[in-house]
Amino acid sequence: MNKTTRRYGSVAIGEKLPPLRIDITSGLIIGGAIASRDFTPVHHDKAAAQAGGLPDIFMNILTSNGLIGRYVTDWAGPDCTLKRIDVKLGAPNLPGFVMTITAEVNAKDDAAGTVDIAYSGDNNVWGTHMSGIVRVALPKEA
Amino acid sequence: MAARISDKAAIVGIGATEFSKDSGRSELALAAEAVKKALDDAGLKPADVDGMVTFTIDQNEEVDVARAVGCGDLKLYSRVPYGGGAATGTLLQAAMAVATGVAETVVCYRALNGRSGQRYSSGVSGNLITGSAIHYSWYMPFGLLTPASWVAMFTQRYMHLTGCSRDALFEVAQATRAYAVNNPAAFFYQRPFTREEYDTAKKICEPLRLYDCCQESDGGCAVVVTTPERAKHLKQPGVLIRGVAQCAARGQEEMTSFYREEIARIPEMDLAADEAYAQCGLSAKDIDAAVIYDAFTPIVLWQLESWGFCKYGEAADFVKDGNLRPGGRLPTNTHGGQLSEAYIHGVNGIVEAVRLVRGTSVNQPNKPVAHALVTSGVGVPTGGAILGRMG
Amino acid sequence: MTPEETRDFEAKIRAYVGREVGAPTRGKDDVNPAMIRHWTEVTGDESPVYCDQAFAAKSSKGGIIAPPTMLQIWSMEGYAMCQRPEMDLQRELHKIFDAHGFVGVLGTNTSTDFYRDLRPGDQVTAHTVIDNISERKTTARGVGYFIETVTKFTDQHGADVGRQVFRVLKFMPNAETAEAKASTAGAADKPAPPTRIQAPRGHDNAWWWEAIDQGKLMIQRCKGCGTLRHPPRPMCGDCNSTEWDAIESSLEGEVYSFTELHYPKFPGYPYPLLCAVVQLREGTRLIANLAGCEPEQVFIGMKVRGKVERVDDKTVLPNFYPA
Repeated sequence: MNKTTRRYGSVAIGEKLPPLRIDITSGLIIGGAIASRDFTPVHHDKAAAQAGGLPDIFMNILTSNGLIGRYVTDWAGPDCTLKRIDVKLGAPNLPGFVMTITAEVNAKDDAAGTVDIAYSGDNNVWGTHMSGIVRVALPKEA
Repeated sequence: MAARISDKAAIVGIGATEFSKDSGRSELALAAEAVKKALDDAGLKPADVDGMVTFTIDQNEEVDVARAVGCGDLKLYSRVPYGGGAATGTLLQAAMAVATGVAETVVCYRALNGRSGQRYSSGVSGNLITGSAIHYSWYMPFGLLTPASWVAMFTQRYMHLTGCSRDALFEVAQATRAYAVNNPAAFFYQRPFTREEYDTAKKICEPLRLYDCCQESDGGCAVVVTTPERAKHLKQPGVLIRGVAQCAARGQEEMTSFYREEIARIPEMDLAADEAYAQCGLSAKDIDAAVIYDAFTPIVLWQLESWGFCKYGEAADFVKDGNLRPGGRLPTNTHGGQLSEAYIHGVNGIVEAVRLVRGTSVNQPNKPVAHALVTSGVGVPTGGAILGRMG
Repeated sequence: MTPEETRDFEAKIRAYVGREVGAPTRGKDDVNPAMIRHWTEVTGDESPVYCDQAFAAKSSKGGIIAPPTMLQIWSMEGYAMCQRPEMDLQRELHKIFDAHGFVGVLGTNTSTDFYRDLRPGDQVTAHTVIDNISERKTTARGVGYFIETVTKFTDQHGADVGRQVFRVLKFMPNAETAEAKASTAGAADKPAPPTRIQAPRGHDNAWWWEAIDQGKLMIQRCKGCGTLRHPPRPMCGDCNSTEWDAIESSLEGEVYSFTELHYPKFPGYPYPLLCAVVQLREGTRLIANLAGCEPEQVFIGMKVRGKVERVDDKTVLPNFYPA
């Protein structure tokens, strides 16, 4: 757990965030769907997912957003403020896959005190699950 | 001795479809429209065409295009290999046919759904035909699968040897973008960009980022080539093919010539330049404007050196001095290039070079253009052509 | 569809643009610690500002806040979604697409702006508008249209707390994709992790890859003049001999050029992925991956040492490590 918040001035464009590996399990997919109150059958019912052409249930978009949000705030620390999350969705995340999230600082806005993190979450079977930018505000002074 | 091909053929018509990311129609429909527009531009009828030339990778058969447009009997059909390296090679085939009397009126065309259909950026995979399959076996298992990755490998070494920085790559991108802003046919029409956008764009292959890479486009382009005699009686002023060459150099591979004495140069383009200049007795100082194949920003630098606009290793300074810009020594890619107009495999570049000589580019330089250079794709066997006004 | 049918269809769907999908949806639950905890448990989010009252109170947040990524969750419809989902304009619009063969649906993008942190007790209401429908697009999945909805989230005071743009593709699955999917769906097993693209093997190169499989990096040698050559070729360009043998490389060399491959990422390849032209001590060059070093550490001229090793279930390759 990260209890220290990064300062705006200490972050440089090009800085890489530590990669995060996430095992995609049925538990994570269903747990994420239900905790986000998303009861769409394809996220908990394998037969429904197969009727839609996929071999198994797959992760809902809210969980993908939740994971990328967590990834960035873990790095930035508790006093940061998420301003924006852009997600471009690619290949679905299915049980048994492993997703690795990597990211780096892509831009800084001195006036707003925000940094943009360009990230990619790639699963080991079908490739890029999600990519995009997270904008987070960091405190300026210690 | 240089080939005796100079001034034996002229370009009398140019045609282009709209350029887009999703044409919504077949590549054959694009080819037919481009060819018909080029014939209309020349004031010729489809029945006048007796030769057709395209790229080996074009999916439109010559006879299918001929039937679609309503051409009659063909006496020449010929294809040039190596992707964008074929662009000006089509002019060489046409000029040879016209000069020898094999055909009198030849159409060179290229049409592709390069964005909505098969995208070259998606790289090579297992689905290749025999010769290519063995060739790419040396690269596929290592992940070196895309044109950008192959070009990046040459670029890294070129930058290492010459001290060229990303400032020069940016200037190449920025110059084409500034031209495209004025060109309604260009993807980036009215869309200028900043250094910050360039620097923060998605990384493709080190050191290349997104805006170092050309468009992927749907569209078609065509030009009509005939004898200078016939050209005199047509609608448009003829544009002479003063010199034209296609060359593969020793040790050449298709995009992956990693084993030659020095890989940070393009000897096949040096040869093409020497040959084309020798054919017409011209040199770099006679070239007033250019369309230089820009699938990626760094390849423009190497070609400026090959064609003698500056010495080896000096292209970065040449472009940073503003020489590709409207008032510069060599206004280049005035349509926006393939970085900023569209990627029609260099044939949109031939169309633009003809406009430069005719004086009809949307970014026509404020000086007489007696000779324009146009080049083909780099990394593959390549070539170039020098176009000039008819006397 | 004929051009005329397309025109009628497009007129029908475009009539939905600009309309609210239904009455604003007031969240059934106000922002509350239990739902926050359920969410952070699953996402693995241990930030103390979501759960540690004492820490949060002393932090710049001044108290517990909800993870911003929960913005949309507060007003979700809930269990009814898998029973009898309420018919709203958006579902009605999707049904029109379905009736015209655009049965596929795929979320493609979300873009969410957060205007303020939400705290326990806040009440969230969602206001969703069908913002635009794209021109007809040809995509890898089939022909279709992108539908963009924009949801404005407000609080109990009517103030905006966030905004989300949601983009879905409604498409007519193309035959090829549908077939591929059907065959995957039929398979009892999970898809296996992919391997790298295999080197096609033919007359002139199979021997080299077979040696790699045995752990050896070979260099072809002309029997006529002794010239080493790579990649292998059936004839010597110097003396035209077709006789050849091969020597085993020392695997010592240096980086002649290199690149880091960022995009596109291909399934089966490990990223970050570094690829180099390696100049071997014997004089020939080859393409190989660099391993055991960070991209920032690599330079032209760096001494490397190769190791032929298994990289996945199907592939053995030479990797080069800093010497």
